[in-house]
Amino acid sequence: MAQTPGSEARTGLKLISPTAIYVILLLAVPLATVLIYSVMTGGRGIVAFPLTFENYAQLWSKSVYGYIMFKSLMVALAVTFITVMLAYPVAYFVSFHVKPERKSLWLFLITIPFWTSYIIRVSLWFVILGYDGLLDKALMALGIMDSQLNFASYGIPAIIFVLAHAYAPFAVLPIFVSLEKVDRSLLEAGQDLGESRWVTFLRVTLPLSMPGVIAAALIVFIPTVGDYVTPKLVGDGKEPMIANFIETQLLRLQNMPQGSAFAVASMLMVGIVSVIFVLLNRRFLGGSK
Amino acid sequence: MTFSDDRPTMIEFKDVHKYYGDYHALRGINGSIRAGEFFSLLGPSGCGKTTLLRTIAGFEDISSGVIMIDGKDMVGVAANVRPTNMVFQSYAIFPHMTVEENVGFGLRKDPRSKEDKARAVAEALEMVGLKGFGKRAAHALSGGQRQRVALARALILKPKVLLLDEPLSALDKKMREHMQVELIKLQRQVGITFILVTHDQEEALVMSDRIAVMFEGEIAQLADPETLYRRPATRKVADFIGTMNFIPAEILSESGDAVEVEAKGLGRVALDIAQAPAKTGETPVVGLRPETLTLLYDDQKAPERETDGVIDEVIYFGDMTYYDVYLGGTDVEVRLSMRNVPGRPVLDVGTKVRVAWSPSALVLFR
Amino acid sequence: MKRAPILRGFTLFYLLFLYSPILLLPIFAFNESKVMAFPLQGFTLTWFVEMASDQNLRNAAKNSLIIALSVATLSTVLGIFAARASVRYRFPGKAPLMSMIMLPLVLPEMIVAMALLVVLLSLNIPLSLFTVILGQVLICTPFAVAILTSAFQSLDRSLEEAALDLGETPWSTFRLIILPLVMPGIMASFLICFTISFDEFIIANFLGSGQPILSVYIFGQFRFPAKVPSMLALGTVLVCFSIILLGFAEYMRRRGIAKAGGKDSGGFL
Repeated sequence: MAQTPGSEARTGLKLISPTAIYVILLLAVPLATVLIYSVMTGGRGIVAFPLTFENYAQLWSKSVYGYIMFKSLMVALAVTFITVMLAYPVAYFVSFHVKPERKSLWLFLITIPFWTSYIIRVSLWFVILGYDGLLDKALMALGIMDSQLNFASYGIPAIIFVLAHAYAPFAVLPIFVSLEKVDRSLLEAGQDLGESRWVTFLRVTLPLSMPGVIAAALIVFIPTVGDYVTPKLVGDGKEPMIANFIETQLLRLQNMPQGSAFAVASMLMVGIVSVIFVLLNRRFLGGSK
Repeated sequence: MTFSDDRPTMIEFKDVHKYYGDYHALRGINGSIRAGEFFSLLGPSGCGKTTLLRTIAGFEDISSGVIMIDGKDMVGVAANVRPTNMVFQSYAIFPHMTVEENVGFGLRKDPRSKEDKARAVAEALEMVGLKGFGKRAAHALSGGQRQRVALARALILKPKVLLLDEPLSALDKKMREHMQVELIKLQRQVGITFILVTHDQEEALVMSDRIAVMFEGEIAQLADPETLYRRPATRKVADFIGTMNFIPAEILSESGDAVEVEAKGLGRVALDIAQAPAKTGETPVVGLRPETLTLLYDDQKAPERETDGVIDEVIYFGDMTYYDVYLGGTDVEVRLSMRNVPGRPVLDVGTKVRVAWSPSALVLFR
Repeated sequence: MKRAPILRGFTLFYLLFLYSPILLLPIFAFNESKVMAFPLQGFTLTWFVEMASDQNLRNAAKNSLIIALSVATLSTVLGIFAARASVRYRFPGKAPLMSMIMLPLVLPEMIVAMALLVVLLSLNIPLSLFTVILGQVLICTPFAVAILTSAFQSLDRSLEEAALDLGETPWSTFRLIILPLVMPGIMASFLICFTISFDEFIIANFLGSGQPILSVYIFGQFRFPAKVPSMLALGTVLVCFSIILLGFAEYMRRRGIAKAGGKDSGGFL
């Protein structure tokens, strides 16, 4: 397999071409189509020329679009914050207080729920938290409440709760990986220099594990901001988020241009937030040099 | 140890260049390797020795020039049809196969019968001292055993040239020395051309019939070990192969092969430069191996020349003692074997000594 | 190891939180009462029988199996191409192409589904199980690429060169050396993609033709209290199924790393 740079490039391109062609046809082309639709005119299942930025102007002027996006962003950020805060101590425990040969077992235990039917987990919360569900029965039996709480109807708090549960295992793994990379002798050095354990944690471990924390935040943020099932089931479907709203625009109202513009704007928002996370990560990586 | 020069040529390089993008990895390699020779490519890491080996094997194309193996131009000939086989630095033992399957891997398309092939595998294993290891799983082998499997696997195809990419670097010191001797014996036994890549000058000197010393993509010197040691072509080669004292010198007169120099601390010396390295334009220095120097005790007389000095530093190694001796204007290292000076005490720093040396051991670099 | 009672307690509590709905599944699936409430009423297999005799559910399960098997196969094959190309070769446009392939990991799934739907509708392609497969392959391929990349990376390149050196062609080298050594990675990728596809809801819901697909069917059934017990039974079966698959995938992945002589460096993601 003698290789000049030219033949290596050719072999590489040939190899990747089936996957690349698939992704270009079924992902790049559709995304481009959505982008084009978003600057077209029309409604009720039709798209037409001329090109216009009217759809984007609508996004600004009508408060419902902004509200949906802002709400989704806030819900996703809240879920991200909660999952990361809960996951950090768990990752820390597994990394620092579990015997090396037991670590993968713990991680396996933590990741299993993530791989077991998401639909069933979310639906179960609906049954547990819903009207006269397990929670209500328990609260009433214990005499804490005298009528049904029906937490599932509580809209945003219920959505946040269910999403935080659904995506919790996502956050542990990246934090764990970054904690594993922390050189244990640095910690000993810190304590050797007279720092207390807590100060060593704040000054050494936490900054060094920040890239993992940010990766975890990103991994939780992206799917939650676009989640469809939870807002649909929990909160009586009265608190739609981005994904539900896109469905309404594109499928129920058949407003292709407006729905496309909303989808593009949502992508842009997710993109911007992700880039902010990544930039934060760069700063931490740069700072640790 | 050196063979006569009338053996036929096995490999020939003509102005071989290799670029990786802008990086010029091989810069005009010329030279030839003879049939049945134990040849080493020696140099520091990044000098291009492994690249050169891989161009012989066919894993790398050359950018320009010619590589001939056994009289055939190898440009465009793929690795799997070249008459070469390789022992990889990592040994590249197939982890999902047994020792037998590894060794017999190259025989897959061999038309011989199953029994004949099995016999060939058994013979190859016996040759490398692994008789009876055939059924073992490859991943259960030690480093030394892996290396033997790699050797057997490469030799079973009876290549014209066996390529060895730093094969001993992963072994511990004792194992390495043992394998050096075994490799030499094996090469004598099979009579195949061996080309060894190494960064260990001692290893190259011990094992090779001839050595090409490489720096920065070029062959700095191609010679037998003795010539390389006694008559290094450049200061850099001299420095890389063992240790050499370099003493600033001034050329006083020159006529034909006779040169007279004034070497700092040593005084005037008449040199025969018939075998001296070619001029490179450096400021003149004379080189002197520490082993060619000795200290004179009591009323011993120097066979040739002697110079007074003071001991600057002493490093004691048990069987050897290294002295740094100040000779007025220059320091030289002197290595004394305790076998040559039995019963003599180790001298202290500050002791006045006389250093004996021989003009014929001096190499002039200019 | 140092004792850390508070951290340990917190972690155990966290695990309990993670598992709480899943642990409730078998408890109520075997419970006689139609409503989820304590105290339990008595052991029964009624709900499992009801689940097994539900013709719609059986159809949905069959469709889901067809989809998941196709998606796992296609994604893994596409993943092999991409992972091998990215690990082994340098070529122009590699970074943008790889980013494009991995993009669905960072894109809200709804947007992938809608973009694809818009194109399918405008081309008048009827929705079917096939369109669901097309969409889910996009989602699963990045996972396949990630798993297979680590499998190809743990392969010593000189193994390939050794096979070539011993007279094999590039293709027979792939068949005799590379394929057997990355086979555990391929199995792991297949199993993970299978699991993701089997669970996937959004694409199944929007790109499906209205033919029953398990995740969509479950989503619909939970609204009817009478159907909840048999859904709990189904959930119990699915959770057991997932755990077995994942355990097997993890075993394969580790065996792959051990086979290639590498060191274990983490879990699935």
